[in-house]
Amino acid sequence: MSSLATSAPRAGMRGFRRQDGRKGIRNYVLVAYLVECAHHVARMIAAPHQMEGAQLIGFPGCYPSDYAERVMTALTTHPNVGAVLLVSLGCEEFQRSRLKAAIAASGRPVELLTIQACGGTAATVAQGRSWVAEQLTALAAMESVPVALSDLVIGTKCGGSDGLSGVTINPAVGHASDLLVDAGATVMFEETCELIGCEEHMARRATTPELAEALRGAVRKADAYYTALGHGSFGGGNIKYGLSTLEEKSLGAYAKSGSRPIRGLLKPGVRPAGPGLYLMDTVNDGPVRYGIPNINDTQTITEMVASGCHLILFTTGAGSVVGQAVAPVIKGVSNSRTYRRMQGDMDVNGGTIADGVETVEDVGRHLVDAVIAAASGAPTKSEALGHQEFVLSYKTYEALGPGCLPV
Amino acid sequence: MAGAANLIILAAGDNVGIALRDIRAGERAATLTGVSLQALEDIPQGHKLALGDIGEGQDIVRFAMKVAVTRAAIGQGRLVHVHNVASRYLNNDEDHYE
Repeated sequence: MSSLATSAPRAGMRGFRRQDGRKGIRNYVLVAYLVECAHHVARMIAAPHQMEGAQLIGFPGCYPSDYAERVMTALTTHPNVGAVLLVSLGCEEFQRSRLKAAIAASGRPVELLTIQACGGTAATVAQGRSWVAEQLTALAAMESVPVALSDLVIGTKCGGSDGLSGVTINPAVGHASDLLVDAGATVMFEETCELIGCEEHMARRATTPELAEALRGAVRKADAYYTALGHGSFGGGNIKYGLSTLEEKSLGAYAKSGSRPIRGLLKPGVRPAGPGLYLMDTVNDGPVRYGIPNINDTQTITEMVASGCHLILFTTGAGSVVGQAVAPVIKGVSNSRTYRRMQGDMDVNGGTIADGVETVEDVGRHLVDAVIAAASGAPTKSEALGHQEFVLSYKTYEALGPGCLPV
Repeated sequence: MAGAANLIILAAGDNVGIALRDIRAGERAATLTGVSLQALEDIPQGHKLALGDIGEGQDIVRFAMKVAVTRAAIGQGRLVHVHNVASRYLNNDEDHYE
Protein backbone atom coordinates (compact mmCIF):
# COMPACT_ATOMS: atom_id res chain seq x y z
CA MET A 1 0.00 0.00 0.00
CA SER A 2 1.38 3.38 -0.93
CA SER A 3 1.53 6.09 1.67
CA LEU A 4 1.81 9.84 1.59
CA ALA A 5 4.51 12.00 3.07
CA THR A 6 3.36 12.99 6.56
CA SER A 7 2.82 16.50 7.82
CA ALA A 8 5.27 18.10 5.36
CA PRO A 9 3.67 20.98 3.46
CA ARG A 10 2.83 19.82 -0.05
CA ALA A 11 3.83 21.83 -3.04
CA GLY A 12 0.93 23.98 -4.09
CA MET A 13 -1.28 23.58 -1.02
CA ARG A 14 -1.81 27.08 0.38
CA GLY A 15 -4.22 28.43 2.90
CA PHE A 16 -5.11 31.24 5.27
CA ARG A 17 -4.04 31.24 8.90
CA ARG A 18 -6.76 32.05 11.43
CA GLN A 19 -6.40 33.37 14.96
CA ASP A 20 -7.27 29.97 16.51
CA GLY A 21 -4.35 28.33 14.68
CA ARG A 22 -6.44 26.57 12.03
CA LYS A 23 -5.83 27.22 8.34
CA GLY A 24 -8.54 27.70 5.74
CA ILE A 25 -8.26 26.57 2.13
CA ARG A 26 -10.74 29.22 1.00
CA ASN A 27 -11.20 32.83 2.08
CA TYR A 28 -14.94 33.29 1.81
CA VAL A 29 -17.12 36.21 2.79
CA LEU A 30 -20.18 34.62 4.36
CA VAL A 31 -23.55 36.31 4.15
CA ALA A 32 -25.75 34.75 6.83
CA TYR A 33 -29.46 35.34 7.33
CA LEU A 34 -30.75 34.75 10.84
CA VAL A 35 -34.38 33.98 9.95
CA GLU A 36 -36.16 33.08 6.69
CA CYS A 37 -37.64 36.60 6.59
CA ALA A 38 -34.10 37.93 5.95
CA HIS A 39 -33.23 35.26 3.36
CA HIS A 40 -34.19 37.24 0.26
CA VAL A 41 -32.27 40.33 1.36
CA ALA A 42 -29.19 38.21 2.16
CA ARG A 43 -29.44 36.46 -1.23
CA MET A 44 -29.68 39.83 -3.02
CA ILE A 45 -26.58 41.03 -1.14
CA ALA A 46 -24.54 37.92 -1.99
CA ALA A 47 -25.79 37.43 -5.57
CA PRO A 48 -23.44 39.77 -7.49
CA HIS A 49 -20.42 38.20 -5.78
CA GLN A 50 -21.43 34.53 -5.56
CA MET A 51 -18.82 33.43 -8.11
CA GLU A 52 -16.14 35.52 -6.37
CA GLY A 53 -16.21 34.11 -2.87
CA ALA A 54 -19.41 35.46 -1.31
CA GLN A 55 -21.28 32.47 0.11
CA LEU A 56 -24.84 32.37 1.45
CA ILE A 57 -25.90 30.46 4.58
CA GLY A 58 -28.64 30.92 7.16
CA PHE A 59 -31.13 29.53 9.63
CA PRO A 60 -34.80 29.84 8.66
CA GLY A 61 -36.38 29.33 12.10
CA CYS A 62 -37.77 32.21 14.16
CA TYR A 63 -37.70 30.35 17.47
CA PRO A 64 -34.47 29.85 19.40
CA SER A 65 -32.47 26.64 18.98
CA ASP A 66 -29.24 25.81 20.83
CA TYR A 67 -28.34 23.42 18.00
CA ALA A 68 -28.81 26.04 15.27
CA GLU A 69 -26.87 28.64 17.25
CA ARG A 70 -24.01 26.16 17.79
CA VAL A 71 -23.88 25.25 14.08
CA MET A 72 -24.13 28.89 12.92
CA THR A 73 -21.38 29.92 15.35
CA ALA A 74 -19.14 27.10 14.14
CA LEU A 75 -19.73 27.94 10.47
CA THR A 76 -19.20 31.70 10.82
CA THR A 77 -15.87 30.99 12.59
CA HIS A 78 -14.89 28.19 10.18
CA PRO A 79 -11.31 28.32 8.82
CA ASN A 80 -12.56 28.69 5.21
CA VAL A 81 -14.32 31.94 6.23
CA GLY A 82 -12.52 35.30 6.22
CA ALA A 83 -15.35 37.74 7.00
CA VAL A 84 -19.06 37.57 7.89
CA LEU A 85 -22.09 39.71 7.21
CA LEU A 86 -25.08 38.86 9.41
CA VAL A 87 -28.51 39.82 8.08
CA SER A 88 -31.29 40.03 10.64
CA LEU A 89 -34.91 41.05 10.17
CA GLY A 90 -34.94 42.48 13.68
CA CYS A 91 -37.73 40.71 15.55
CA GLU A 92 -36.57 37.07 15.27
CA GLU A 93 -35.31 35.31 18.38
CA PHE A 94 -31.84 34.39 17.11
CA GLN A 95 -29.17 35.71 19.51
CA ARG A 96 -27.59 37.96 16.88
CA SER A 97 -25.44 40.04 19.24
CA ARG A 98 -23.99 36.91 20.82
CA LEU A 99 -23.17 35.48 17.37
CA LYS A 100 -21.62 38.78 16.26
CA ALA A 101 -19.46 38.88 19.42
CA ALA A 102 -18.26 35.30 18.84
CA ILE A 103 -17.24 36.13 15.26
CA ALA A 104 -15.46 39.32 16.35
CA ALA A 105 -13.65 37.36 19.08
CA SER A 106 -12.40 34.94 16.39
CA GLY A 107 -10.52 37.83 14.76
CA ARG A 108 -12.77 38.13 11.69
CA PRO A 109 -14.32 41.29 10.32
CA VAL A 110 -18.06 41.11 11.03
CA GLU A 111 -21.02 43.38 10.32
CA LEU A 112 -24.62 43.03 11.44
CA LEU A 113 -27.36 44.61 9.34
CA THR A 114 -30.86 44.66 10.76
CA ILE A 115 -33.40 45.19 8.00
CA GLN A 116 -35.92 46.97 10.22
CA ALA A 117 -33.27 49.44 11.45
CA CYS A 118 -31.64 49.95 8.05
CA GLY A 119 -34.87 51.11 6.50
CA GLY A 120 -36.01 48.05 4.58
CA THR A 121 -34.95 45.86 1.71
CA ALA A 122 -33.33 48.30 -0.75
CA ALA A 123 -31.29 50.17 1.87
CA THR A 124 -30.05 46.93 3.47
CA VAL A 125 -29.12 45.40 0.12
CA ALA A 126 -27.14 48.53 -0.85
CA GLN A 127 -25.28 48.66 2.47
CA GLY A 128 -24.65 44.93 2.46
CA ARG A 129 -23.31 44.81 -1.08
CA SER A 130 -20.85 47.60 -0.45
CA TRP A 131 -19.61 45.87 2.74
CA VAL A 132 -19.19 42.54 0.95
CA ALA A 133 -17.29 44.17 -1.95
CA GLU A 134 -14.91 45.88 0.51
CA GLN A 135 -14.25 42.63 2.37
CA LEU A 136 -13.61 40.66 -0.82
CA THR A 137 -11.00 43.24 -1.84
CA ALA A 138 -9.36 43.16 1.60
CA LEU A 139 -9.31 39.33 1.71
CA ALA A 140 -7.77 39.13 -1.77
CA ALA A 141 -4.71 40.93 -0.36
CA MET A 142 -4.33 38.51 2.56
CA GLU A 143 -1.09 36.55 2.56
CA SER A 144 -1.35 32.79 2.19
CA VAL A 145 0.67 30.17 4.07
CA PRO A 146 1.69 26.60 3.19
CA VAL A 147 -0.80 23.88 4.10
CA ALA A 148 -0.02 20.24 4.95
CA LEU A 149 -2.41 17.30 4.77
CA SER A 150 -2.17 17.24 8.57
CA ASP A 151 -3.84 20.69 8.61
CA LEU A 152 -6.92 19.33 6.85
CA VAL A 153 -10.21 17.95 8.12
CA ILE A 154 -12.09 15.89 5.51
CA GLY A 155 -15.66 14.59 5.69
CA THR A 156 -16.99 11.62 3.73
CA LYS A 157 -20.60 11.25 2.61
CA CYS A 158 -22.69 9.30 0.10
CA GLY A 159 -25.90 10.24 -1.66
CA GLY A 160 -27.87 8.79 -4.55
CA SER A 161 -26.04 5.47 -4.10
CA ASP A 162 -26.51 2.57 -6.52
CA GLY A 163 -25.62 -1.13 -6.67
CA LEU A 164 -21.98 -0.41 -7.43
CA SER A 165 -21.44 2.33 -4.79
CA GLY A 166 -20.50 -0.17 -2.09
CA VAL A 167 -18.23 -2.07 -4.50
CA THR A 168 -16.31 0.71 -6.26
CA ILE A 169 -16.32 4.32 -5.10
CA ASN A 170 -17.14 3.82 -1.40
CA PRO A 171 -14.24 1.38 -0.79
CA ALA A 172 -12.05 3.80 -2.81
CA VAL A 173 -13.05 6.60 -0.43
CA GLY A 174 -12.18 4.20 2.40
CA HIS A 175 -8.72 3.73 0.92
CA ALA A 176 -8.35 7.52 0.49
CA SER A 177 -9.43 7.88 4.13
CA ASP A 178 -6.66 5.48 5.21
CA LEU A 179 -4.06 7.38 3.14
CA LEU A 180 -5.19 10.72 4.56
CA VAL A 181 -5.24 9.46 8.17
CA ASP A 182 -1.75 7.98 7.68
CA ALA A 183 -0.58 11.40 6.44
CA GLY A 184 -1.81 13.01 9.67
CA ALA A 185 -5.12 14.37 8.42
CA THR A 186 -8.41 14.31 10.32
CA VAL A 187 -11.25 12.41 8.65
CA MET A 188 -14.88 11.93 9.67
CA PHE A 189 -17.67 9.68 8.44
CA GLU A 190 -21.37 9.76 9.34
CA GLU A 191 -24.85 8.29 8.78
CA THR A 192 -25.30 6.32 12.00
CA CYS A 193 -28.72 5.26 10.67
CA GLU A 194 -26.94 3.44 7.83
CA LEU A 195 -24.43 1.68 10.07
CA ILE A 196 -26.85 -0.82 11.61
CA GLY A 197 -25.01 -4.13 11.60
CA CYS A 198 -21.58 -2.47 11.55
CA GLU A 199 -21.58 -1.50 15.24
CA GLU A 200 -19.52 -4.46 16.51
CA HIS A 201 -16.97 -4.05 13.72
CA MET A 202 -16.77 -0.32 14.50
CA ALA A 203 -16.49 -1.02 18.23
CA ARG A 204 -13.46 -3.22 17.58
CA ARG A 205 -11.82 -0.28 15.78
CA ALA A 206 -12.38 2.08 18.72
CA THR A 207 -9.24 3.22 20.50
CA THR A 208 -10.80 2.82 23.99
CA PRO A 209 -13.50 0.55 25.52
CA GLU A 210 -15.51 3.64 26.53
CA LEU A 211 -15.54 4.86 22.93
CA ALA A 212 -16.48 1.37 21.71
CA GLU A 213 -19.58 1.51 23.91
CA ALA A 214 -20.38 5.05 22.75
CA LEU A 215 -20.20 3.93 19.08
CA ARG A 216 -22.54 0.99 19.77
CA GLY A 217 -24.87 3.39 21.61
CA ALA A 218 -24.96 5.83 18.68
CA VAL A 219 -26.09 3.06 16.30
CA ARG A 220 -28.65 1.75 18.84
CA LYS A 221 -30.02 5.29 19.15
CA ALA A 222 -30.29 5.62 15.36
CA ASP A 223 -32.05 2.24 15.12
CA ALA A 224 -34.56 3.18 17.84
CA TYR A 225 -35.15 6.67 16.40
CA TYR A 226 -35.86 5.43 12.88
CA THR A 227 -38.02 2.58 14.19
CA ALA A 228 -40.12 5.14 16.07
CA LEU A 229 -40.33 7.27 12.92
CA GLY A 230 -41.58 4.23 11.00
CA HIS A 231 -38.79 4.06 8.46
CA GLY A 232 -37.86 0.80 6.79
CA SER A 233 -34.36 0.52 5.41
CA PHE A 234 -33.96 -2.72 3.47
CA GLY A 235 -36.05 -4.13 0.70
CA GLY A 236 -36.81 -4.91 -2.91
CA GLY A 237 -34.49 -2.45 -4.63
CA ASN A 238 -31.59 -3.50 -2.44
CA ILE A 239 -32.20 -7.19 -3.19
CA LYS A 240 -32.39 -6.43 -6.91
CA TYR A 241 -28.93 -4.84 -6.68
CA GLY A 242 -27.55 -8.01 -5.04
CA LEU A 243 -27.62 -6.92 -1.41
CA SER A 244 -28.81 -9.85 0.71
CA THR A 245 -29.11 -8.31 4.18
CA LEU A 246 -29.49 -5.01 6.03
CA GLU A 247 -25.94 -5.37 7.39
CA GLU A 248 -24.58 -5.87 3.88
CA LYS A 249 -26.35 -2.70 2.77
CA SER A 250 -24.86 -0.82 5.75
CA LEU A 251 -21.43 -2.10 4.78
CA GLY A 252 -21.70 -0.20 1.50
CA ALA A 253 -21.83 3.11 3.37
CA TYR A 254 -19.45 1.94 6.11
CA ALA A 255 -16.80 1.10 3.47
CA LYS A 256 -16.14 4.84 3.19
CA SER A 257 -14.58 4.77 6.67
CA GLY A 258 -11.61 2.66 5.58
CA SER A 259 -9.75 0.55 8.11
CA ARG A 260 -7.95 2.87 10.53
CA PRO A 261 -8.72 3.01 14.27
CA ILE A 262 -11.70 5.18 15.26
CA ARG A 263 -10.53 7.89 17.69
CA GLY A 264 -13.77 9.57 18.64
CA LEU A 265 -17.49 10.21 18.30
CA LEU A 266 -18.57 13.74 17.32
CA LYS A 267 -21.78 15.72 17.40
CA PRO A 268 -22.49 18.60 14.99
CA GLY A 269 -20.32 21.61 15.85
CA VAL A 270 -17.96 19.62 18.10
CA ARG A 271 -14.46 19.58 16.66
CA PRO A 272 -12.20 16.52 16.56
CA ALA A 273 -9.53 16.45 19.27
CA GLY A 274 -6.46 15.87 17.12
CA PRO A 275 -5.90 13.94 13.88
CA GLY A 276 -7.34 10.53 12.99
CA LEU A 277 -10.72 9.07 12.15
CA TYR A 278 -14.03 10.07 13.81
CA LEU A 279 -17.70 9.13 13.52
CA MET A 280 -20.27 11.94 13.37
CA ASP A 281 -23.48 11.17 15.27
CA THR A 282 -26.18 12.51 12.94
CA VAL A 283 -29.28 11.50 14.92
CA ASN A 284 -31.10 13.63 17.52
CA ASP A 285 -30.83 12.80 21.21
CA GLY A 286 -33.97 12.17 23.23
CA PRO A 287 -37.45 11.32 21.95
CA VAL A 288 -38.49 11.78 18.32
CA ARG A 289 -38.79 15.55 17.90
CA TYR A 290 -38.85 17.79 14.80
CA GLY A 291 -39.20 14.75 12.51
CA ILE A 292 -36.50 13.30 10.27
CA PRO A 293 -33.06 14.04 11.79
CA ASN A 294 -31.37 15.17 8.57
CA ILE A 295 -33.80 16.17 5.86
CA ASN A 296 -31.29 15.68 3.01
CA ASP A 297 -27.61 15.12 2.20
CA THR A 298 -26.88 18.82 2.52
CA GLN A 299 -27.81 18.98 6.20
CA THR A 300 -25.46 16.09 7.01
CA ILE A 301 -22.68 17.79 5.06
CA THR A 302 -23.39 21.06 6.87
CA GLU A 303 -23.06 19.28 10.23
CA MET A 304 -19.65 17.85 9.27
CA VAL A 305 -18.51 21.27 8.05
CA ALA A 306 -19.68 22.73 11.37
CA SER A 307 -17.30 20.25 13.02
CA GLY A 308 -14.45 21.73 11.01
CA CYS A 309 -14.34 19.92 7.65
CA HIS A 310 -12.43 21.90 5.01
CA LEU A 311 -13.55 19.57 2.22
CA ILE A 312 -16.12 16.84 1.61
CA LEU A 313 -15.58 13.62 -0.37
CA PHE A 314 -19.06 12.81 -1.69
CA THR A 315 -19.89 9.58 -3.50
CA THR A 316 -22.84 9.02 -5.78
CA GLY A 317 -24.17 6.41 -8.17
CA ALA A 318 -27.29 7.98 -9.64
CA GLY A 319 -25.51 11.32 -9.94
CA SER A 320 -25.85 13.96 -7.21
CA VAL A 321 -24.71 17.48 -8.14
CA VAL A 322 -24.59 19.23 -4.74
CA GLY A 323 -21.85 21.45 -3.36
CA GLN A 324 -21.73 23.28 -0.05
CA ALA A 325 -21.51 26.93 0.97
CA VAL A 326 -18.56 26.73 3.38
CA ALA A 327 -16.57 23.67 2.24
CA PRO A 328 -15.85 22.55 -1.34
CA VAL A 329 -17.34 19.17 -2.31
CA ILE A 330 -15.39 16.60 -4.37
CA LYS A 331 -17.64 14.18 -6.26
CA GLY A 332 -16.75 10.53 -6.78
CA VAL A 333 -19.06 8.40 -8.93
CA SER A 334 -19.59 4.63 -8.76
CA ASN A 335 -20.07 3.80 -12.45
CA SER A 336 -18.78 4.97 -15.82
CA ARG A 337 -22.23 5.43 -17.34
CA THR A 338 -23.19 8.16 -14.87
CA TYR A 339 -19.67 9.58 -15.16
CA ARG A 340 -19.98 9.95 -18.92
CA ARG A 341 -23.50 11.38 -18.69
CA MET A 342 -22.61 13.93 -15.96
CA GLN A 343 -18.88 14.41 -16.44
CA GLY A 344 -19.19 18.16 -15.88
CA ASP A 345 -20.27 17.49 -12.29
CA MET A 346 -17.97 14.58 -11.37
CA ASP A 347 -14.38 14.95 -10.12
CA VAL A 348 -13.37 11.27 -9.92
CA ASN A 349 -14.70 8.21 -11.77
CA GLY A 350 -14.79 5.04 -9.64
CA GLY A 351 -16.53 3.21 -12.50
CA THR A 352 -13.08 2.25 -13.78
CA ILE A 353 -13.03 -0.35 -10.97
CA ALA A 354 -16.14 -2.05 -12.37
CA ASP A 355 -14.73 -1.68 -15.88
CA GLY A 356 -11.75 -3.74 -14.71
CA VAL A 357 -9.17 -1.12 -15.64
CA GLU A 358 -8.32 0.31 -12.21
CA THR A 359 -8.22 -0.98 -8.64
CA VAL A 360 -9.89 0.41 -5.52
CA GLU A 361 -6.43 1.62 -4.47
CA ASP A 362 -5.90 3.47 -7.79
CA VAL A 363 -9.17 5.36 -7.41
CA GLY A 364 -8.39 6.05 -3.74
CA ARG A 365 -5.20 7.76 -4.85
CA HIS A 366 -7.12 9.81 -7.45
CA LEU A 367 -9.41 10.98 -4.64
CA VAL A 368 -6.42 12.05 -2.54
CA ASP A 369 -5.03 13.88 -5.60
CA ALA A 370 -8.39 15.65 -5.91
CA VAL A 371 -8.14 16.69 -2.22
CA ILE A 372 -4.63 18.07 -2.83
CA ALA A 373 -5.79 19.94 -5.96
CA ALA A 374 -8.77 21.48 -4.14
CA ALA A 375 -6.53 22.47 -1.20
CA SER A 376 -4.18 24.07 -3.74
CA GLY A 377 -6.95 26.41 -4.80
CA ALA A 378 -8.29 24.59 -7.86
CA PRO A 379 -12.10 24.74 -7.81
CA THR A 380 -13.89 21.40 -7.59
CA LYS A 381 -16.49 20.70 -10.30
CA SER A 382 -19.39 21.74 -8.06
CA GLU A 383 -17.57 24.90 -6.98
CA ALA A 384 -16.82 25.91 -10.57
CA LEU A 385 -20.51 25.46 -11.37
CA GLY A 386 -21.45 27.82 -8.53
CA HIS A 387 -23.01 25.22 -6.23
CA GLN A 388 -23.25 26.36 -2.64
CA GLU A 389 -26.08 24.32 -1.17
CA PHE A 390 -26.98 24.95 2.44
CA VAL A 391 -29.74 23.85 4.81
CA LEU A 392 -30.19 23.91 8.56
CA SER A 393 -33.29 22.81 10.47
CA TYR A 394 -34.27 22.20 14.09
CA LYS A 395 -32.63 19.36 16.05
CA THR A 396 -31.84 18.55 19.67
CA TYR A 397 -28.55 17.23 21.01
CA GLU A 398 -27.26 16.61 24.51
CA ALA A 399 -23.60 17.21 25.34
CA LEU A 400 -21.14 14.46 24.35
CA GLY A 401 -20.72 11.77 26.98
CA PRO A 402 -17.38 10.92 28.59
CA GLY A 403 -15.08 8.73 26.51
CA CYS A 404 -16.27 10.09 23.16
CA LEU A 405 -13.15 12.15 22.47
CA PRO A 406 -9.48 11.25 22.95
CA VAL A 407 -7.87 13.04 25.90
CA MET B 1 -13.15 -0.32 -21.49
CA ALA B 2 -13.00 -4.09 -22.01
CA GLY B 3 -10.90 -5.07 -18.99
CA ALA B 4 -10.34 -8.73 -18.21
CA ALA B 5 -11.81 -8.52 -14.72
CA ASN B 6 -15.49 -9.23 -14.12
CA LEU B 7 -15.17 -9.94 -10.38
CA ILE B 8 -13.80 -8.03 -7.41
CA ILE B 9 -12.74 -9.33 -4.00
CA LEU B 10 -12.99 -6.35 -1.69
CA ALA B 11 -10.64 -7.59 1.06
CA ALA B 12 -8.20 -10.44 1.57
CA GLY B 13 -9.93 -13.27 3.45
CA ASP B 14 -13.38 -12.58 1.99
CA ASN B 15 -15.27 -15.76 1.00
CA VAL B 16 -17.31 -13.99 -1.69
CA GLY B 17 -16.45 -11.89 -4.72
CA ILE B 18 -18.76 -9.30 -6.30
CA ALA B 19 -19.70 -9.45 -9.98
CA LEU B 20 -18.65 -6.25 -11.76
CA ARG B 21 -20.71 -7.25 -14.80
CA ASP B 22 -23.32 -9.92 -15.42
CA ILE B 23 -21.47 -13.27 -15.32
CA ARG B 24 -23.23 -16.19 -17.04
CA ALA B 25 -23.30 -19.80 -15.81
CA GLY B 26 -20.20 -21.62 -17.05
CA GLU B 27 -18.25 -18.37 -17.62
CA ARG B 28 -14.91 -17.70 -15.88
CA ALA B 29 -15.01 -15.15 -13.10
CA ALA B 30 -11.67 -13.34 -12.82
CA THR B 31 -10.33 -10.46 -10.74
CA LEU B 32 -7.81 -7.82 -11.73
CA THR B 33 -5.54 -9.33 -9.06
CA GLY B 34 -5.40 -12.80 -10.68
CA VAL B 35 -8.08 -14.88 -8.91
CA SER B 36 -10.04 -16.98 -11.39
CA LEU B 37 -12.82 -19.57 -11.01
CA GLN B 38 -15.83 -20.86 -12.90
CA ALA B 39 -19.30 -19.49 -12.18
CA LEU B 40 -21.74 -22.40 -11.84
CA GLU B 41 -24.82 -20.22 -12.25
CA ASP B 42 -25.70 -16.71 -13.44
CA ILE B 43 -24.23 -14.00 -11.17
CA PRO B 44 -25.83 -10.64 -12.06
CA GLN B 45 -23.81 -7.44 -11.66
CA GLY B 46 -23.43 -6.46 -7.99
CA HIS B 47 -24.28 -9.98 -6.77
CA LYS B 48 -22.03 -12.31 -4.78
CA LEU B 49 -20.17 -15.41 -5.93
CA ALA B 50 -18.88 -18.07 -3.47
CA LEU B 51 -15.08 -18.22 -3.82
CA GLY B 52 -14.92 -21.67 -2.16
CA ASP B 53 -17.26 -24.21 -0.56
CA ILE B 54 -19.06 -22.61 2.39
CA GLY B 55 -20.83 -24.79 4.99
CA GLU B 56 -24.28 -24.25 6.51
CA GLY B 57 -24.36 -21.75 9.39
CA GLN B 58 -21.14 -20.07 8.26
CA ASP B 59 -20.52 -16.35 7.99
CA ILE B 60 -20.44 -14.63 4.63
CA VAL B 61 -17.45 -12.29 4.76
CA ARG B 62 -17.38 -9.30 2.40
CA PHE B 63 -14.86 -6.49 2.78
CA ALA B 64 -13.64 -8.20 5.96
CA MET B 65 -17.08 -7.91 7.54
CA LYS B 66 -19.70 -10.54 8.37
CA VAL B 67 -22.66 -9.53 6.23
CA ALA B 68 -24.84 -12.65 6.45
CA VAL B 69 -25.03 -16.24 7.71
CA THR B 70 -25.62 -19.20 5.38
CA ARG B 71 -28.91 -21.14 5.64
CA ALA B 72 -27.53 -24.03 3.59
CA ALA B 73 -24.16 -25.18 2.29
CA ILE B 74 -23.06 -23.14 -0.75
CA GLY B 75 -20.66 -24.61 -3.30
CA GLN B 76 -17.78 -22.77 -4.95
CA GLY B 77 -18.94 -20.78 -7.96
CA ARG B 78 -22.54 -20.49 -6.70
CA LEU B 79 -24.68 -17.37 -6.25
CA VAL B 80 -24.86 -16.15 -2.63
CA HIS B 81 -28.10 -14.26 -2.01
CA VAL B 82 -31.37 -14.18 -0.08
CA HIS B 83 -32.28 -17.78 -1.06
CA ASN B 84 -29.30 -19.24 0.83
CA VAL B 85 -28.26 -16.63 3.42
CA ALA B 86 -30.00 -14.73 6.22
CA SER B 87 -29.50 -11.51 8.16
CA ARG B 88 -28.46 -11.42 11.79
CA TYR B 89 -30.70 -8.35 12.07
CA LEU B 90 -33.77 -8.20 9.82
CA ASN B 91 -35.61 -11.15 8.24
CA ASN B 92 -35.08 -11.02 4.48
CA ASP B 93 -38.48 -12.51 3.70
CA GLU B 94 -40.41 -9.48 4.86
CA ASP B 95 -41.52 -7.14 2.16
CA HIS B 96 -39.94 -3.79 2.98
CA TYR B 97 -39.95 -0.75 0.76
CA GLU B 98 -36.60 0.57 -0.35
